Amino acid sequence: MKNPKPANPQSVSTSTKPTWCPGCFNFQILAGMKNFLANEIKSGKKKDDFAIVAGIGCHAKIFDYVNLNGLNTLHGRVLPTCLGIKVGNPNLNVFGFSGDGDAYAEGIEHLIHAARYNADFKYIVHDNQVFALTVGQPTPTTETGFKDKTTPRGVKLHPINPIKLMLASGATFIARVFADVKQIEWILSEAMKHKGFAFIEVLQPCIIFHPDSGYKNKVYSLEETGHDKTNFNKAWKKAEEFDYETISEKTRIPTGVFYQNPDSKNRVFEEQFPQLAELKKKNLSWKDIKR
Amino acid sequence: MRFSILFGGKAGQGPNILTHILGEALVKQGYYVFYSRDYQSLIRGGHNFNVLTFSDKPVFSNDSGIDVIVALDENTEDIHKKNLKREGIVLNGKHENMYFAGLLFKSLGLDFRILEDELKILKKRFDENIKEAKKGYEDGKQNINLPKASGKKSYFINGSQGIAEGAVKAGLDLYYAYPMTPATPVLGELAQKQEKDNILVLEMENEISVINAAIGSAMTGAKAMVGTSGGGFDLMTEALSLTGMAEVPLVVYLAQRPGPATGVPTYNAQGDLNIARHSGHGEFPRVVLAPGDPKEAQEIISQAFYFSQKFKIPAIAISDKHLGESFYTLADKPIITKSKKSTKFRRYNSYEKNPQTGSATEDAEIIKANVEKRIKKVLEIGKEAEKFTQYNVYGKKNSGNVIVSWGSTKGAILDAINEGNLDCKFLQVLYIEPFPKQIKKELEKAGKIILVENNSTAQLSGLIAEKTGIFIDDRNKILRYDGRPFLADELRKEINKKIRGR
Repeated sequence: MKNPKPANPQSVSTSTKPTWCPGCFNFQILAGMKNFLANEIKSGKKKDDFAIVAGIGCHAKIFDYVNLNGLNTLHGRVLPTCLGIKVGNPNLNVFGFSGDGDAYAEGIEHLIHAARYNADFKYIVHDNQVFALTVGQPTPTTETGFKDKTTPRGVKLHPINPIKLMLASGATFIARVFADVKQIEWILSEAMKHKGFAFIEVLQPCIIFHPDSGYKNKVYSLEETGHDKTNFNKAWKKAEEFDYETISEKTRIPTGVFYQNPDSKNRVFEEQFPQLAELKKKNLSWKDIKR
Repeated sequence: MRFSILFGGKAGQGPNILTHILGEALVKQGYYVFYSRDYQSLIRGGHNFNVLTFSDKPVFSNDSGIDVIVALDENTEDIHKKNLKREGIVLNGKHENMYFAGLLFKSLGLDFRILEDELKILKKRFDENIKEAKKGYEDGKQNINLPKASGKKSYFINGSQGIAEGAVKAGLDLYYAYPMTPATPVLGELAQKQEKDNILVLEMENEISVINAAIGSAMTGAKAMVGTSGGGFDLMTEALSLTGMAEVPLVVYLAQRPGPATGVPTYNAQGDLNIARHSGHGEFPRVVLAPGDPKEAQEIISQAFYFSQKFKIPAIAISDKHLGESFYTLADKPIITKSKKSTKFRRYNSYEKNPQTGSATEDAEIIKANVEKRIKKVLEIGKEAEKFTQYNVYGKKNSGNVIVSWGSTKGAILDAINEGNLDCKFLQVLYIEPFPKQIKKELEKAGKIILVENNSTAQLSGLIAEKTGIFIDDRNKILRYDGRPFLADELRKEINKKIRGR
């Protein structure tokens, strides 16, 4: 978790004033992203080498505050948009941001296929286990028993486990972190090094509609316990440790990289098509192709 | 002279190859050929048939009467003999399909060498095919005397090939699609061309993904296009609205089939004019263009790219199963409209956005200004469209009887009025949106307006009423909605009835 010298995060900020609730964990993710970008720019990348896509929900406001080209797209459509941008210009470093509603409800079909395509872009899910911007309804990762105005008898369904879903779908990089600026900065730079699709689940408690899940005291680092991230079966075991239900005394939440497929670099989507490989080689986009 | 041959059999027996070989051969001999396909939604068995009509004069449709039935199975003869003309003949028996090719070429008095050339082009199973064909040719006898062909040089093409070729000529970079009849042939055509023409064709998990990925690519400056039919188009419409908001150029190929819902997947209809015009929430400009033959398909799709790039809007080219899958003989080369790639990668938004920051806004003044910026384009598009042929005029230019129609009905209407030398003028609307202003003047001059459409609610007449205030009398509407295209001889009678009617 080495952090090079702090960079100036302002260079990638817009002038738009954040409207998240004071104290929202989204600020942590935003700061982590900005630090990551500033570091990348410091080490030679240009701002325009990056693209940002966000969906709909509280998470998506990150688009308004990070000054990168891209699209704040429709609900659930972050992944196909990222793929389209990557296909349009394979030289861009594309970062997609979603909430749990975006990723696991409205657009879940894209998630399974994104894992299968393995295009070289990064996907960050702000999982607060609630539809916050529509004032507090349950999502597919909300724990059983959760109550709100729309579920007077409480949620009867069990939450899905996104880590297991991604393992089963063949994703080549699967991580989970807590919404903490250092964690975010670190995992983004790890994901950046990965050749292929990177899935990052961020536990981001909603201080208004899903308050104090107590995660912060339950998380531990996979890296520090010597987890072998190239071992699929061990990754599956680790994924099973936390099932997104209400936490108890015993709950332990592993964070860090669960799984990274060492073969990923040989099955990157863009490299399966000579047309795209050629663009990448010549540092061109389709816009540069004159006909 | 119009001469009709029906090829029928089970799916998998190869009536298509047979039809296509004869079509190609006749076109090369200088005849005009048209054939349509009638096939069921199954892979093996059932009953499929093609009707090939050819003539020494231009031909763009089929007739109900058949001169020769080529029956690859017993069913074919039973089903179609009611349409066989009195002096018509049936070629039948248990044979391989190329045996029938030999029989037919002999029957038409065509040299065996012509068939041999076609089999060489086909390549596949050449040795078996030539053997069977020879046997058929030897067993057959010539019983039809063909008129002399015009000898004019022309090409044989279907609407899907027209769309694909036109798109490539217009500078297409990326085509995204999910398979859906009858749009799939365009996907196949482009996929085959992709490496040669340096384009990329991608199939994604569903139509929602298809259009959102296409928008992502279009934002980076690529010329992107998607293709689908009604159901898939419905799935795309939220993102169509996004192209309107984000002001991203996108071309949509919409190939109609009978709905609602799954409808009749492999048959024909013109029921989606209204969704092409109105789909997508909110208010945003768009262009909707409707080609009537494969040459227009090439021209129209290039114009769709032009308008989408120039105005950063969605442009929809609307076709159908009949145009997409029927083969036409065309002599004139299409006029392709070139367009520049207009889009630069920057900050796009599905929200109403602040133009300075690219971030979402709720500011009343900005909202108003943005709405006006988008809607102002409607006028500009209308003006730009005047540089193009927005509608065609055929038939007797001074007749008071005016037929009005759009899309694939063009072929049958042209054949009906030309063959019958009918006293009428035919307006074929190419531009649905923006709607050509002159149509109002054309219709105001008309004594009687006759509408022809492949749907049950006369959607074009609704559009005409909206744009011109002119209501077409229900008694003068010729509507077909049984999944089948119009046949020239039947349509001629219908039109005649309307002309004579009070």
